[in-house]
Amino acid sequence: MISRKSVEHLRAAIFIRNLEAKSEHEAILKLIGALQGHTLVKDLSELSAAIFDRQQSDPPLFPGGIAFPHARTDSVLSLVMVVATCPEPIPFGEMPVRLIFLIGVPKKAGAEYLEMISFLARHVRGDHVIDRLVQAEDLQSFLNAFADHPVI
Amino acid sequence: MDKIGENKQERTLSPLFRRLLRLKVWSVERFRLSDRQVTLIWAALIGVLGALASEGFRKASELLHYLATGSELGIISSFARLPWWQRLAVPTAGGLLAGLTLWLGNRLFASVRQKTTTDYMEAIVVGSGIIPLRASLVKSLSALFSISTGTSIGREGPLVQISSLVASLVGRFRRFPIPQRRHLVACGAAAGIASAYNAPIAASFFVAEIILGTVVVESLGPLILASVVAAFVSQALHGGDPLYKSPGFNLHTRWEIIPLSCVGIALGFVAPAYLRFLRTAERLFSKVEIPIPLKLALGGAIVGALAILNPAVCGNGQGLLRSLFHQNWFWDEILAILLLKLVATATAFGSGVVGGVFTPTLFIGAAIGMLYGQTVLYVAPDLRSDPAMYGLVGMGSFIAAATGAPVMAILMAFELTLDYAILPFLMVNCVVAYYCSGIFERRFMYGESLERKGAAFFNQQLAEVSIRDLVRLDPLTLAKNATFAQIAETFVQHRFQHIYIVDKEKRLLGAVSLHDVKAFLDRPELETVVIAADIMNEDFPCVSLLQGMSEALHKFSEANSERLPVVDNLNSKRLIGSISKTDIILHLAGEQSSTGTNRQFAKG
Repeated sequence: MISRKSVEHLRAAIFIRNLEAKSEHEAILKLIGALQGHTLVKDLSELSAAIFDRQQSDPPLFPGGIAFPHARTDSVLSLVMVVATCPEPIPFGEMPVRLIFLIGVPKKAGAEYLEMISFLARHVRGDHVIDRLVQAEDLQSFLNAFADHPVI
Repeated sequence: MDKIGENKQERTLSPLFRRLLRLKVWSVERFRLSDRQVTLIWAALIGVLGALASEGFRKASELLHYLATGSELGIISSFARLPWWQRLAVPTAGGLLAGLTLWLGNRLFASVRQKTTTDYMEAIVVGSGIIPLRASLVKSLSALFSISTGTSIGREGPLVQISSLVASLVGRFRRFPIPQRRHLVACGAAAGIASAYNAPIAASFFVAEIILGTVVVESLGPLILASVVAAFVSQALHGGDPLYKSPGFNLHTRWEIIPLSCVGIALGFVAPAYLRFLRTAERLFSKVEIPIPLKLALGGAIVGALAILNPAVCGNGQGLLRSLFHQNWFWDEILAILLLKLVATATAFGSGVVGGVFTPTLFIGAAIGMLYGQTVLYVAPDLRSDPAMYGLVGMGSFIAAATGAPVMAILMAFELTLDYAILPFLMVNCVVAYYCSGIFERRFMYGESLERKGAAFFNQQLAEVSIRDLVRLDPLTLAKNATFAQIAETFVQHRFQHIYIVDKEKRLLGAVSLHDVKAFLDRPELETVVIAADIMNEDFPCVSLLQGMSEALHKFSEANSERLPVVDNLNSKRLIGSISKTDIILHLAGEQSSTGTNRQFAKG
């Protein structure tokens, strides 16, 4: 079952094509930088601290080179997302990462957060899908890469 | 093989033994006495003991009355024979002695009075079923001085108190659990009322309706048994006549049904004013800052001064009621004695005399009913109404409106007069009076006192119990990096609604709520990517061992949770255990949870 809300969040995401970074830290910083001036972000430095703190606990990674740096923090008013494709894989620990979904979610929106993570984990899997997503040129083509899915 | 077969035969039971065993199990199952049956047996015994204790108090009161007035007659007749100065002096001296008794008792048994309750209603409703012996005896002795010297207060109150005390002592002696002890004290109260008014049915309903607030068979059964036994014992000692035997009433015309059916409306509207009058008297006396002995002496002096005008104000009003129903009274005589009795009763009640206002209230209702009947007779002489009939209906209606217990009032008025012909009018008017009274008054005669004392008792109990006493150790915890799979598994294995998340030093970081994650428990894709830290509520309320139970209850209202984590203190937040609402409620009810709390910690 598809959550329409998750799809809407994905449609509203900031898209970064061909992200280049030498490290996990640099990559995440660039994604956070993309949220500068975002209307839903109250405090970017607090969001940044929360995301790095979460990364230290247990970096959320998916097979196939997908990273989900995220944090539940009240420094955002609503769920915000930055999507980045990395044709040149960036090392996140021992895993070369090709797709990054950075998510910031308010503390009270726990269900929304679980729904979003569940949605991505279900649909961003398999080499074929990941390859198409990585090759996307903009957000629309990125969304089209979920072509198997009629909702998107 | 044979050997094995032989061994098998040795182990199996013989048919006879098996039958005997079956018979034993059957008889144990059938004839084993349950708690309810045991309570019933004790209720009967308490009926006997309660009636005898009440009789003892009655005899002591008569003796003291003889010593004070030199007369063996009833209170009103005795006072009528006294010179004016003695009418003033006897109640004043009685009040002084009653006050000195209370003052001395308070000084000697202050600790007892602070910790427990001396009121049988509190002991039944909010207490542990324990009525302290010494404090109760002090109160009874004080009541004895007041009642025997003519104060306008009911002796039924102390009679019930003593009967309940006996029941409480039985419960303590037999070491019954708290709910059973409370029930036995209720039986004692019912026995006391039954022996005081020779009204076993009304006595059972008085306790059930006013004190217990329920008339279910489980609680009513023992009350009925105790009341009936107590009434039988009283009848054996005094005879079986009703207290105010009805002279017998007839309706001369069917039109009289109309004014007779409206008695309840009138009395229902007057009762709230009466209750407020009593409260005002209590408030006025509370403003008089003098020692208790002088306050009660002042109350006695006022009653004595009224007795100079009319000695009929003395006593509980029982003699007046009899006279009202069997003699012809003019309306101005009724009005005069009604006003005097109102002031005398309010004075005694307000000054803090130990005693009841039930019988005085019966008289006031009957007097107002008779005035109503006199008015009907004056306005419509063709009806040829008997004002005493209105008095009887008025008595029942007024007590229904004042106590908020119409069923008890109907039964009481019927049992006191045993007039079946008047019963339908009693029923209608008692119910109507109750509803009319409810328009203006929501706090009835005994309810207010119970409410006030109950709240104080509840707060005291809350203050006395510590979180340390009820904490359960070894709460359900996970580390903050526990995976979603571990969280789901833990929720499946346990029935708790929250898992507490702790760090390596066992400091509380937050809680994961089943409510928040239950919709996602079947999502395998979350099992490794989500951890406890992602979904825990960091602001989940917790209580410290150092906090009081009132604060814990406040936190419960914030958390909307059955269970709260308990930490050593709110700064370090090291998790000790958890505390549940159920355990607190069971503790306040005097019971322990079936699983029991972990007491090792409480002792340590």
